[in-house]
Amino acid sequence: MNRVIKVARMQLINKGTFIGIPLIILGASFLFTMAIWWLVRRNGGDGAMYSGGAQAPMWYFLALGIQSLTLTFPFSMAMSISRRTFYLGTVALFSVCALALSVFYYLMGLLEVATDGWGMGGQFFALQWIADNNWLVQILFYFVLMVLLFMIGFLAATIYMRWRTTGMVAFFICLGVLVLGIIALITLTNSWGEFWSWALTWTAAGVTLWGGIVALLMAGGSYLTLRKATA
Amino acid sequence: MPRTTAIATRELSKTYKDVKALDNVTLDLEPDRIYGLLGRNGAGKTTLMSILTGQNYADHGTAEIFGHAPFEHDPTLSRICFIRESQKYPDDFKVHQAFESAALFFENWDEDLAQELVEAFALPINRRIKKLSRGQLSAVGVIIGMASRADITFFDEPYLGLDAVARQIFYDRLVEDFAEYPRTIVLSSHLIDEVANLLEHVIVIDKGQIVIDSDAEELRGTAVTVTGDAAKVQEFIGAAQVLHRDALGALASVTIKAKLDADQREQAKLMGLDLSPVSLQQLVVRSALSGTTAQRTEERTEARK
Repeated sequence: MNRVIKVARMQLINKGTFIGIPLIILGASFLFTMAIWWLVRRNGGDGAMYSGGAQAPMWYFLALGIQSLTLTFPFSMAMSISRRTFYLGTVALFSVCALALSVFYYLMGLLEVATDGWGMGGQFFALQWIADNNWLVQILFYFVLMVLLFMIGFLAATIYMRWRTTGMVAFFICLGVLVLGIIALITLTNSWGEFWSWALTWTAAGVTLWGGIVALLMAGGSYLTLRKATA
Repeated sequence: MPRTTAIATRELSKTYKDVKALDNVTLDLEPDRIYGLLGRNGAGKTTLMSILTGQNYADHGTAEIFGHAPFEHDPTLSRICFIRESQKYPDDFKVHQAFESAALFFENWDEDLAQELVEAFALPINRRIKKLSRGQLSAVGVIIGMASRADITFFDEPYLGLDAVARQIFYDRLVEDFAEYPRTIVLSSHLIDEVANLLEHVIVIDKGQIVIDSDAEELRGTAVTVTGDAAKVQEFIGAAQVLHRDALGALASVTIKAKLDADQREQAKLMGLDLSPVSLQQLVVRSALSGTTAQRTEERTEARK
């Protein structure tokens, strides 16, 4: 157990990677959005303003998932850490960071609503579709989204670590075949209309639930893959 | 009560695609000794050490560290330190951050020793590891290996890129520290002469097979070079196994695999022949790497005559 915490501490030796950079990305995208909104209002623009800027740090988590594995895993082997301990420590650390950031999103959303969209009627954190839900769903929604992106990177990186280029090529060919298969199925059965009307019925809670299940599956998959990976 | 073996392998085999990296390796390493794991590049040294440290796994056979398989076993792993020759470090790590990490995981970490070594190697601790020269990179690995004071420490070609002064520092400090804190040290090397004096026991691996597993002192006594008049040398060596032969005019210098007793030494003296010990490196090169290389050398020697 103790060594799991040490892995988290090792990942945090460079504090920028897990904490600093996401905050800088979020801060920058928030300030850019503010500046744009201000310009819009200055020029007499009215109506509600939405921004997808809050997702900016989430894409960084995709890279973080890859980085925390490809760069730190070979080093963790040299630190005589078992793969299991490395996995638990790294995933636990990311989960804690993601949870903290999710709570922060939720709180900023409250502030945003209270200040009437930062005094400009904008929506950066409290997007209607998400903010309409209760606090638990809101926090879990952000959390699952972050974990999902991290896990995509993490799983891809474990596959690379275990099977190298062959694994990557096989993985992306399978993924391509799967996506193409689904598209072909919908197209050949002429059901794009139904698909989109179905997609519109998705709720934040539903996305959270299914996203959570997919994230869990990927977490399990990357654990099993990592168990026999070599540096 | 017999002491527990530090490292024990039984019929260890590992194949990479079509290359047999390890072929039926059975070894027993006693605790608190300095072992040399010698062999050519690609002989299987790193693969063996990777399996012993749980970084890789075998296709067949078993490896045990203090009686337990190291693979994914933290209590066993925590007693081992193995920094590979091509060790990767997190991209953004500075030298001191690698040491901070090592201090977290190696319970016997000696920060003072690490600091001393940093000074001895003149290592810039605030520089990013990826900006280091080959020698400095080796120094990082050497410092982690030494300061970790792990029960079993593997050094994988630790001298790569180090200058002569730095190499001597490493050898001196290793012996010094070993005297104070005995532990099992496995030094992998293809530069045999340089480390020969450190080693108490020699394991030579070639094409994945163990070809020598012997006490270093004993090994040195197993061969001798006889120099003198070619005819007399031939008469003296008789049917002994010849490892190497050099000839210059009427003079011959022949290395034979033989343990000479006092009578034989006396006889050589009477015949006017010189007896000289064989260096570990020569011995390993001549007797162990007998496959194609040594054979070709022999043929070339024959052809020259």
